[in-house]
Amino acid sequence: MGSGCQDCEEMMQPYVDGMLSDAEVEEAREHLERCPWCDKRYRFEERLRHFVRVATDEPMPPGLREKLESLRTTRPTA
Amino acid sequence: MSESASTAEESRRIAEEARDRVRFEEEALELSDQVYRVARRLAGSREEAEDLVQDTYARAFRAWQQYTPGTNLRAWLLRILTNLNIDRGRRAQRSPDTQPLEEGDYFLYNKLESTLPDENPDEERVIERLSQNAVVEALAEVPHDFRDVIVLVDIGEFSYADAAQILDIPVGTVMSRLHRGRRILKQRLAEKAVAA
Repeated sequence: MGSGCQDCEEMMQPYVDGMLSDAEVEEAREHLERCPWCDKRYRFEERLRHFVRVATDEPMPPGLREKLESLRTTRPTA
Repeated sequence: MSESASTAEESRRIAEEARDRVRFEEEALELSDQVYRVARRLAGSREEAEDLVQDTYARAFRAWQQYTPGTNLRAWLLRILTNLNIDRGRRAQRSPDTQPLEEGDYFLYNKLESTLPDENPDEERVIERLSQNAVVEALAEVPHDFRDVIVLVDIGEFSYADAAQILDIPVGTVMSRLHRGRRILKQRLAEKAVAA
């Protein structure tokens, strides 16, 4: 962990979220360009977010849609 | 206006309302799979999620006129759902406001990397240290207040503003809970990966 890495760690979430100002993005990029150590952790964060979304995905169980349809107050249009 | 004209006006209004209601119900049902996916992670079990979704739709179909057409219907449905979830005693098991100080954002990566024999591994290899089950379990262990925000934003892909509206909290609170919640999640993941 070199100098600036701690700041870079603090900026990671807002960076990936696109919540930093232009100046802050510039600052983070400058650091990432010369710091493969942080760069790797940033790329990991992006992968992790994707993995969390995919790993927790569970489609609607069969039969639930029909149960919801039966709650309707109107008749379905053909 | 003559009597027959006002009767015609009235029946046109009724017909229009009936059409709007049919459209509302159909649009809501189209979203049911997406609503369920979010509900599943907000609730503790599949059964609970199914119940919640059914109660949500029953309520939505009754209160359909409170929905403003053109606004985010999925967010509107999730707002009903999170309120029902809280009504069901979620408040009783509310997490305390003070959480242990969580580790930084690099913590998980550092932990996972240390379990690999090779120096400086590819981040692809590092993420492979996590199983799908570990993610599901770790998320379930994140305290409710933090988890709700992660589920809405990172899984349901709602904007901060929508998540704030759904949970009836300020946008700043969404952001801070998300930030801390993700760190808590990573800590839980680190424990599971190392234990495995």
